[in-house]
Amino acid sequence: MSNKLIDIVNVSKSFGENLVLNDLNLYIRENEFLTLLGPSGCGKTTLLRILGGFESPNEGKVIFDGKDITDLAPNKRQLNTVFQKYALFPNMTIAENIAFGLKIKGKSNTYIEDKIHYALKLVNLDGFNERMPDSLSGGQQQRIAIARAIVNEPKVLLLDEPLGALDLKLRQDMQYELIRLKNELGITFVYVTHDQEEALTMSDTIVVMNQGNIQQIGTPEDIYNEPQNAFVADFIGESNIFSAIMVEDKLVKIQGVKFPCVDTGFGKNKPVDAVIRPEDVDLVKPKKGLMQGIVTSLIFKGVHYEMDVMANGYEWLVHSTDMFPVGTEVGIRVDPFDIQIMKKPESEDAEAVSIEE
Amino acid sequence: MIKKYIQRFYLLFIIILLYAPIITLMALSFNSSKSRARWGGFTAKWYVRLFQDDQIMTALYTTLEIALLSALIATVLGTAGAIGIHALRRKYRTFMMGVTNIPMLNADIVTGISLMLLFIAFRFSLGFSTILIAHITFNLPYVILSVMPRLKQTNISTYEAALDLGASPLYAFFKVVFPDILPGVSSGFLLAFTMSLDDFVITHFTKGPGVDTLSTKIYSEVRKGIRPEIYALSTIMFLSVLLLLILVNIAPDEKEDRKRILSAATVKRHKISRFLLRKVVPAAMVVIITIGGIFYSTKADRLGGANQVIVYNWGEYLDPAAIELFEEETGIDVVYEEYETNEIMYPKIQSGAIAYDVVCPSDYMIERMIENDLLAEINFDNVPNIKNIGDVYMEQSRQFDPNNKYSVPYLWGTVGILYNKTMVDEPIDSWSVLWDEKYKDSILMQDSVRDAFGVALKYLGYSLNSTDLDELTAAQKLLIEQKPLVQAYVVDQVRDKMIGNEAAIGVIYSGEAIYTQLENPDLEYVIPKEGSNIWIDSLVIPKNAKHKENAEAFINFVCRPEIAKMNFDFITYSIPNEGGRALIEEPELRNSKIAFPDAKELERCETFKFLGDENDAVYNKLWREVKSR
Ligand SMILES: Nc1ncnc2c1ncn2[C@@H]1O[C@H](COP(=O)(O)OP(=O)(O)OP(=O)(O)O)[C@@H](O)[C@H]1O
Ligand SMILES: [Mg+2]
Repeated sequence: MSNKLIDIVNVSKSFGENLVLNDLNLYIRENEFLTLLGPSGCGKTTLLRILGGFESPNEGKVIFDGKDITDLAPNKRQLNTVFQKYALFPNMTIAENIAFGLKIKGKSNTYIEDKIHYALKLVNLDGFNERMPDSLSGGQQQRIAIARAIVNEPKVLLLDEPLGALDLKLRQDMQYELIRLKNELGITFVYVTHDQEEALTMSDTIVVMNQGNIQQIGTPEDIYNEPQNAFVADFIGESNIFSAIMVEDKLVKIQGVKFPCVDTGFGKNKPVDAVIRPEDVDLVKPKKGLMQGIVTSLIFKGVHYEMDVMANGYEWLVHSTDMFPVGTEVGIRVDPFDIQIMKKPESEDAEAVSIEE
Repeated sequence: MIKKYIQRFYLLFIIILLYAPIITLMALSFNSSKSRARWGGFTAKWYVRLFQDDQIMTALYTTLEIALLSALIATVLGTAGAIGIHALRRKYRTFMMGVTNIPMLNADIVTGISLMLLFIAFRFSLGFSTILIAHITFNLPYVILSVMPRLKQTNISTYEAALDLGASPLYAFFKVVFPDILPGVSSGFLLAFTMSLDDFVITHFTKGPGVDTLSTKIYSEVRKGIRPEIYALSTIMFLSVLLLLILVNIAPDEKEDRKRILSAATVKRHKISRFLLRKVVPAAMVVIITIGGIFYSTKADRLGGANQVIVYNWGEYLDPAAIELFEEETGIDVVYEEYETNEIMYPKIQSGAIAYDVVCPSDYMIERMIENDLLAEINFDNVPNIKNIGDVYMEQSRQFDPNNKYSVPYLWGTVGILYNKTMVDEPIDSWSVLWDEKYKDSILMQDSVRDAFGVALKYLGYSLNSTDLDELTAAQKLLIEQKPLVQAYVVDQVRDKMIGNEAAIGVIYSGEAIYTQLENPDLEYVIPKEGSNIWIDSLVIPKNAKHKENAEAFINFVCRPEIAKMNFDFITYSIPNEGGRALIEEPELRNSKIAFPDAKELERCETFKFLGDENDAVYNKLWREVKSR
């Protein structure tokens, strides 16, 4: 997990007036599991298609293993794609589908047989060899699409929401299998998903995108614990996001109440965004809190209770193992290191989203 | 209950409506009598003759060859085109689809004429290749139209997936996209194939001498009546199509088979029909194409030869044996093409699209061609056999060729009354019988302006080339009066109806009359005493002929007594060749008053003249009024 395998340099792409990727810079290391995460239409598929060679960027280049592959034809690239819409060949059997790439490479029949067997077993579809794609369910088709890509043992596997159509149990199994594959075969994964939980569990690196801009790149922990802006904070998990004032170093004013924090270097009396995760809000006796509020809703969520607390004109989202019935007056406390201070967004895009929310 | 019966009855009715014509045709193909109106017993002889008939078989080959080649090429080009159009942006795609669809909505005749003009403009010589190009052209939109919807359904990402797995674009197309759009492609091919088989109009305008498809061949025979061999051929074609359809329907996709669980027998049956459909039928096509190809390459050699004469004649107007004889004797190749009406022949000569050497127009058309300076003077030093042509015919010819410089009479005839002796009371000698109440509903009139007005004008004692409005109105009045008495206005059915005793009296051409008399001895022909129409078809040489001397040699050859006689036997139309007439063996034909009336009778007869467009319009208007009353 050291050297850069793919380097995306200053890539921009627009369809007509619509700027889909805006001057993107990103590198992917060998044997990395990198996830592109972002709302629908933010350009994930487009970026993947540029990597696969199905679109060419208007500007910028793609470097693969030190070589510029920006204009290389898709069939000459050492990567395989699992398409968002499966894209199985409807006129071929499952076995023929899986064998397609291997036949082109001129592998022997026994090798191909073995691979088909192995791949079908891997995706839990043993014995489906002679079936036709349109006789399979959506989830089964998607698994075949994965099998078809994997048998080619590509250096990089591009997956566009490959588990979207699967049920929870199967999805978890497949997640596990994919990670096993990555470790066993040393394949580099570029993975696209909507599902932040999936992103957090599987990835080495997460790239959060919004409207063609990269919002943050980091490990799942980084992204979760230290979102760099309100968009990331809001997109990853649930959050309380406040427009706040940084009074001075280590002191922030939220909803008119001063909270001690650990961040420094924002200057004095500067507007910032403050993020507090719901599980980091401590509910205490009214007197003991920095701020007082009233519980307005209570839902049991299994591991914890989810509560809304109205305080100083803001509805706080709180996760707690303690239960406070609706109408209870409570005090609110937050540990200083649980408050994440972020600069106000400069880019319009990020702003647009935070205002919308 | 009743509802159910009505339903069944209605269905039966529809089926009868749809299939009655084809069943009639199939029945007639086994009729040993030549007449459509009489059943002469069962026979398969037409089928045997069909396969012995060189002309029909050639036309059949040409038709299949053109249909297959044009459908094949149009399918390849059209599929590629559809893919191109599909890849366009939406705006342009809609535009392109519109552009490709318009030719399909165009009337065939417009397409045909514009193609002909284009070929002429680019100095393409009309022939096999121009028909082929024309067919490809009009087939293209059909292919595009049937491939396009399949392309739209096709998931483009399968193509990308194939590329992604390392396939080259071409491999990906043939392995992945093509099987997906194959149903569209093959229905496009079939559509193109049938459109091509069907086409008459466009072929007609773009074909050259010596090439005929079935449709043009059959049409050129209309004048003499369609031969029963053609019924046999149509039956065979219908059955082949039926067989193909059945095959297609009982050969479902393997894919379908795989999805369902079927009995072994069904699977086997499907396998056999798939084998037939996918292997045998294409193989048969390939065989036809190659055989046809070889056939044409040998024929093309012949067409290329410089020592030839290009003859443009009425359909079935010359015994093929005579042509062979001429070729043997002189070493000149005869390229023989046929037409069906003067009006179809005329524009071809006028446009100069093809340099014909010998043409055989009718009297009034010759006059018109002379007027428009389309004919060359014949050098009669090269046509010594002109001496065999009777003086009376040369004299009659002066009506349209005043100095006998341009034309040599070839065949002629009169218009008269054919009647059934057993169905009339008195001998008939006047047009007045056509207005006799006694024969109400057993009178057959010719359904053409000049013929109908000719009868009325002659009856009134006027010229049948009258342009006097009073005379014409009087004739019109007479025709209107006659209407309730007339059983039908027909063209070539007079012959069949009279043979079949369906009518007592009919206006008919003498050439037909001879034939009818052979089939039904009760029939008698007369040229009414008021006079009638005599028509003469003469051989002429167009001004742009490339082989004038060969043309004169050909005309001279045809004027030989033996050849004239041979042709009389073939077609039984009156020949102007006195020497030839003398050679006719059967005295009843040699002395037939129908074929060779007394010169005195002919004196009462006139040829039609070309009256000019304005007068034509007057005639047509008056005739329309008669017909619409
Ligand atoms: N071929 C194209 N032509 C025009 N616009 C396109 C094209 N492909 C994508 N777009 C536009 O680019 C933007 C980004 O699309 P993209 O498919 O990359 O989104 P995505 O992040 O994959 O979304 P999702 O999560 O819904 O799959 C969208 O606004 C889309 O409409
Ligand atoms: Mg997408």
